[in-house]
Amino acid sequence: MNVLLKVEQSGFSQWIRASESIVGYTGILLLHKIGIGVVVGISACIGFRILGFAPALRLTGLEKFFPTLWFGFWLNAASGVILLAIDLTKKLGNPDFYVKMAFITAAVVTVRMLKTDAFGHAAVDTEPPSARAKFLALTSLICWLGAIVSGRLLAYLG
Amino acid sequence: MNLAHVHLLLNHFPTVAFGVGVGLLIGGIFVKSDELKRASLVILFMTSALTIAVYVSGNDAQAAIRDRADVSAAAMNRHESAALVAFTFMQLTGLAAWLGLWKWRRTSDSGAATRNMTVVLLLSMVTFGVMARAANLGGQIRHSEIQAAQDSSGAEPEPGIARSLAAYVGTHQWVWPLCETLHFVGLSLLLGVVLTVDLRMLGVGKTLSFAALYQLLPLGMLGFTINLVTGMIFFVATPDQYTGFLFFLKMILVVLGAANVLYFMLFDQPWTIGEGDDAPTATKVIAASAIVIWIGVLCCGRLLPFFGNSF
Repeated sequence: MNVLLKVEQSGFSQWIRASESIVGYTGILLLHKIGIGVVVGISACIGFRILGFAPALRLTGLEKFFPTLWFGFWLNAASGVILLAIDLTKKLGNPDFYVKMAFITAAVVTVRMLKTDAFGHAAVDTEPPSARAKFLALTSLICWLGAIVSGRLLAYLG
Repeated sequence: MNLAHVHLLLNHFPTVAFGVGVGLLIGGIFVKSDELKRASLVILFMTSALTIAVYVSGNDAQAAIRDRADVSAAAMNRHESAALVAFTFMQLTGLAAWLGLWKWRRTSDSGAATRNMTVVLLLSMVTFGVMARAANLGGQIRHSEIQAAQDSSGAEPEPGIARSLAAYVGTHQWVWPLCETLHFVGLSLLLGVVLTVDLRMLGVGKTLSFAALYQLLPLGMLGFTINLVTGMIFFVATPDQYTGFLFFLKMILVVLGAANVLYFMLFDQPWTIGEGDDAPTATKVIAASAIVIWIGVLCCGRLLPFFGNSF
């Protein structure tokens, strides 16, 4: 617990919390919001395509958007770590925080499995996505939705 | 010059432009001209987008005059509620017009096009009626020559639809977090489609043709619609949070975003982009501007508590 308090009360955390500069708390929240839009948005485009929406979109083209998707994810991971550090004891004591982390972990795992399953073979553009790929796509969408809901509720619960 | 002036300057525009749009639509149906019909859909869609900026600037106009003795609170409440109804029908018309434009490039099914036109025409007729009423009630706030006689009674003003909605949101704790969550979902869908379409124009994933990407646009429009509805609930519930330049800038960027997507729907240039093709320079510039516009919308929203009056 001592370590948690140390992190939370470190000079860096105090500065982020109290800073009136745009690179302080406001900027970090902004990056977190942009990150969500990028990672969830690109995941949604890929997921809905696998589920049959916009069937003319070639998967070999969509595959090139995975780096953008992961860029959004890492932007969120980095800004999320800072947002956690400045409010460590409260967040770690909030069960909803673990629900959010579980949803994010499940979403990342399913997106990675989806990449292997739907994109990782030669006939990617000629054969329709398998039932397993569709299941993974749907699961990833549900997990991102769960992450957004539990993330938003962090401000209200606990 | 403040946003109250902007409201007074812009508020006649929807009525006039919408009238032109409806006139062109009826004319187009009458003379069976697809070009006229298409032009009317463009006008109706852009008018609905501009109406967003007009509606929200009304808030500043109200703040500027509400304490004056010669201004009736009842008249402002009536105008606000009538404007909310008009706004809702205007946005439904704009959405139907957008879908009509989108389908134009997608299907050669004339039956579907006719059905869509009928929906747009019916919605636009209703909109025109409710908008004229909102304009008339707005005029009554300051134009004493048309003011209704009952205003001088001094009784507590009727809350109207807008204030009743605000009271509902205020007394039901689940509404605000639900709308916030949906606002995140909407922005993700919209940003996802914007990034996929516009980054492709800039060279990412070139095996995607523009014709294929075009199929994604309704997903982005769904995201936008979710955010328009939830955003309006925020706005109507706590209008004092959404005054000032930054929020108005956000709305201006939304209007620019609407104009930007029309380029991709109307112009032939993007349609020449097949699988593996490089996009023309003009298309690249407009694609890059779309990303800047929508990230800008997102930034303005997030920075409202920082620079604006929001919590």
